[in-house]
Amino acid sequence: MLKMTHLSKAFRTEVVETYALRDFSIHVREGEFVAVTGPSGSGKTTFLNIAGLLETPTGGTYELDGQDVGALGDDARSHIRNQKIGFIFQAFNLIPDLNIYDNVDVPLRYRKMSSAERKKRITEALERVGLSARMRHYPAELSGGQQQRVAIARALAGSPKLLLADEPTGNLDTQMARAVMQLLEEIHRDGATIVMVTHDPELAARAQRNVHVIDGQVVDLGEDPKLHMNVSRISA
Amino acid sequence: MDFMPIIAALKRQKTAAALIAIEIALCCAIICNALFLIIHRLERSSIPSGVPENELVRIQTTSVAEDPDVDARARAALQSLREIPGVQGATLINQVPFGRSSWNSGLRLKPEDKNTIVNATIYYGDAAMLSTLGAKLIAGRWFEESEFGDFATLLGAPDGEQPKIVIITRQLGQKLFGNENPLGREFAFGDVPVRVIGVLDHLVRPSIFDDATADCSLVFPVRMGAGYGAQYVLRTRPQDRDAVIAAAKKKLAEAMPNRIVLDTKGFDELRDENFKQDRVMAGLLIAVVVSLLVVTALGIVGLASFWVQRRRRQIGIRRALGATRGQILRYFQTENFLIVTVGIAVGMAAAFGISGWLMHHYELPRLPLYYLPVGAVALWLLGQIAVLAPALRAASVPPATATRPV
Repeated sequence: MLKMTHLSKAFRTEVVETYALRDFSIHVREGEFVAVTGPSGSGKTTFLNIAGLLETPTGGTYELDGQDVGALGDDARSHIRNQKIGFIFQAFNLIPDLNIYDNVDVPLRYRKMSSAERKKRITEALERVGLSARMRHYPAELSGGQQQRVAIARALAGSPKLLLADEPTGNLDTQMARAVMQLLEEIHRDGATIVMVTHDPELAARAQRNVHVIDGQVVDLGEDPKLHMNVSRISA
Repeated sequence: MDFMPIIAALKRQKTAAALIAIEIALCCAIICNALFLIIHRLERSSIPSGVPENELVRIQTTSVAEDPDVDARARAALQSLREIPGVQGATLINQVPFGRSSWNSGLRLKPEDKNTIVNATIYYGDAAMLSTLGAKLIAGRWFEESEFGDFATLLGAPDGEQPKIVIITRQLGQKLFGNENPLGREFAFGDVPVRVIGVLDHLVRPSIFDDATADCSLVFPVRMGAGYGAQYVLRTRPQDRDAVIAAAKKKLAEAMPNRIVLDTKGFDELRDENFKQDRVMAGLLIAVVVSLLVVTALGIVGLASFWVQRRRRQIGIRRALGATRGQILRYFQTENFLIVTVGIAVGMAAAFGISGWLMHHYELPRLPLYYLPVGAVALWLLGQIAVLAPALRAASVPPATATRPV
């Protein structure tokens, strides 16, 4: 589903060149639930941005769903983001001026879907996250957990091939975080491929596979879950 | 582009959107009326005179001492003016187009009618008037030599001795007789019935006080003397004008020692003077319109820039969710289109209201309806041009903005 090979991302100024990712290789198979962990500044967000086609890599190759997406133009990247990728952000990233229904509708409208089809998908997605009764509410009228569920509904409504979650429980209390994580697990059980960036070792432990990133490179921690836990705690 | 989500989002930004809509409405209302006034003034100042203005010169004289033979001297002077090299024609008439000072009369169809149909200006001219002025006779004939009388004889003569034949302009014919052929028809000049023997295409009035009757003129076969404001009119090529005027002044001084030349002007200069106020007013209104458009455009640029800055993250989210740069650009253009449309709708109603007020207080004509769509299109274009730079900035917001810390 997602295959990055010797990928690099450099940020250049006039005097200095900094690598956020260097010789970064990862392969996420269809239906996997992978947690990406690592300390702050390790390159997790850069990886997520490149994985979600929000940024372009400086070098290496990136194949998404069998297609080399490294050299695509801006419009083609937008199209793939819209068709194949669902995003769940730490800060929820709902549009405050739109109600819940319209928020979920945003990516579907860019897909030029019929009104009836959009309505069906929005209703189903909001029912799935348990917020169908709040369709006409605005984000500010919901709790953090509810807002994140709306963001998940927005990601699900487009039936994406890949779900990218950036610290999905980072702004939630424990109880809400648990509920959101359960939802992600349900979605995974239904067949979705999920890549989740997290600081939370407990969340990382609930993923099928952990990938640790340090200094812009994937670090092999072996199969020992304790080691994974320890590294994650240090990272946090 | 879908309107509904944009309208839904605008409902949450009512105040800012309403302010721009009000600005557009005011702009629309003022601009529609101002454009109408500008075009009205400019049309007015380019009204056809019916004569080749750049070939005609008016010479005004005034007496400095009593002269019992002034009329005979005037006719002799006229003859000497015709002999000046470069002069193609010379006449002595009571008033000239755009000369401001005018002789006017209300006309009725029959002497017994109580109400006048139209007010017309009265030209008195000699046999050379038509050829000198170069006015175009489109029907009938010019006066014969035997039909001319002298103004001095006419003055104080009983009504029965007034001229009984007249040449009128086409516009005056239409005002008097509608679409019927005016040739041979009669109308009342004072209490005297006069018969139309010829029709001129145009001969504008000296002073236009009503645009609808600017070309309502009639010509009687009357030879003017030197007094009563009579003016010499010379026809000459534009390049000979200065030399002809200098020679004419000399000839007049020789022929009429008791009169001095008061003023010499080309008919084109008379037109310029006559419509100077209109041009100044049009210029002023153009300045107002341009200023208003600039201020409105700046208002749109300001608000759109503010919104782009404030919604930068939101734009990043939309980009992350799959919006192309073009879709972001169109979002802001559509948003602007909707706000401007509301402003235009209110502005059109206001434009009509202002027009009614102007009609009532300043006797201006009603704003023609076609000005409204013209104003609307102008403001739509203004809005789209003004919003383009902020919208392009919005479209350039990278999608990675969505994942940056708040």
